[in-house]
Amino acid sequence: MTRPRGAAVLLLLLAGGGGCQKPVKPGDPLPGLSRAERDRFDHGKVVFDSVFTPETGLGPLFNATGCGECHENPAGGRGDEVEVHATAFHAPVCDPLAQEGGPVIQQHTTPALKQALGIDQEPFPPSATARAMRTSPVIFGRGLLDLVPDSVLLAYADPDDRNHDGVKGRPNRFVDGRIGRFGRKGFVPTLREFNAGAFAAEMSVTNPAQPTEEDVGGKPLPAGVDPAPDPEINQEQLDLTDDFVRFLAPPTPLKLGKDGRHGRDVFSQIGCATCHIPTLRTGYSPLPALNNREFAAYTDLLLHDMGTDLADICLGRATPADFRTEPLLDLRGAEHFLHDGRATTLEQAIELHGGEGSGARDRFKGLSAADRTALVAFLKSL
Amino acid sequence: MQRHIRTAALTVVLLVPFVTAAPADWRALNSAQAAPSYTYQGTVRAVNARTGSLELITGVGMSLRVVRMTMAPTTRLVAAGATPRLTDLKPGDVVRAEGRRTAAGLVADRVEKLAVGTR
Repeated sequence: MTRPRGAAVLLLLLAGGGGCQKPVKPGDPLPGLSRAERDRFDHGKVVFDSVFTPETGLGPLFNATGCGECHENPAGGRGDEVEVHATAFHAPVCDPLAQEGGPVIQQHTTPALKQALGIDQEPFPPSATARAMRTSPVIFGRGLLDLVPDSVLLAYADPDDRNHDGVKGRPNRFVDGRIGRFGRKGFVPTLREFNAGAFAAEMSVTNPAQPTEEDVGGKPLPAGVDPAPDPEINQEQLDLTDDFVRFLAPPTPLKLGKDGRHGRDVFSQIGCATCHIPTLRTGYSPLPALNNREFAAYTDLLLHDMGTDLADICLGRATPADFRTEPLLDLRGAEHFLHDGRATTLEQAIELHGGEGSGARDRFKGLSAADRTALVAFLKSL
Repeated sequence: MQRHIRTAALTVVLLVPFVTAAPADWRALNSAQAAPSYTYQGTVRAVNARTGSLELITGVGMSLRVVRMTMAPTTRLVAAGATPRLTDLKPGDVVRAEGRRTAAGLVADRVEKLAVGTR
């Protein structure tokens, strides 16, 4: 009789052990990937960490020599680089300055372009009405964000503030009219496009999705400055990189202590969770690791007016003051906050919220020191 | 008998793709001299009714490009429930444009103004 009981205990222990997942660290793949998907994650990381040269497609204008130069420590994490963006706002129309090289202003040139034109960086567009600084965000959990249905975003939108909470929220739109969600202004509709566009805009590495080189301030490239034939990476390299980014998991939040648990309540009570919605759910995906998954997102992927102090460039339907709610992922590893890194503490970042965020900011300012400490403890667990 | 029927059925299954694909091949042969067509969906950057030119912003992610095209007398402009003129298009409008490359550049065959959510 004792042997069957022992076997039952063993079974229970095994079952319990199976349900206890290891915490996901920054840079880890999503749990539950198949062997084949894990292989693509590993091979994609190799492309992601590649360093391009002019001979392999870099430039002639560029911000970085590879994805891993800005999304590092570990791959997919944040970097210390700050790049320059520019657009022209003629209300209500936003001109992304595509005729002058686009909104990303590359800060480096290859030796061949420097020799041909005598420039060290892309000329700042004369038509620009504003300049913006952009830090490199972590790109964990982007595959999950990509799969949140548009209908969910639209359900959270409240452009006329019908519930009178002072928070509106509306989706941005890409140049072709589709709902956007990626980038600090929520301009780009899909992760695949964001990745393909990043190859072209950050490294000037042409690819099957963007097979043409950017010109220099609206003028064609001088002959001989771009030796690699287009496209400079093939579909498989693009797909592998896309899979690597898509499969990067959001890190597991740290276990909350008493302070942190109280901070989580304060986060909701003062209204942070109105825009930084704690959990979202993906829609259908043929990949089980991404299909119908609830995950900690802390964003609504919508645009909110953040006030004049933070305002910089327009993009799509985003006015200069509009920013997409930043997903609060891997805050524990952050040393700079907000889209341009101007805040060096979480308290500063909250106090710099304006516009639709001013209600939550003011309630934060009215908290006791203990409540503030608890809120920060919670945020640092993310 | 059953074997004959099975063979006949197999022959039909194998031939169907060729038969149904044939009209497409004929179209391709007939239009061999025509320029290949292109479709762009993007935001109007500039429009000049006097010169009949249209500039669209297209692209992938943050990598954006300008597409320039000209209107021909045969270009059709359409919108939901209306037949707009070129002067009705303005910067910021989202359109889908179909055209073909000629020696003079990209010529539009059809430009459709799309209704896109504004909120």
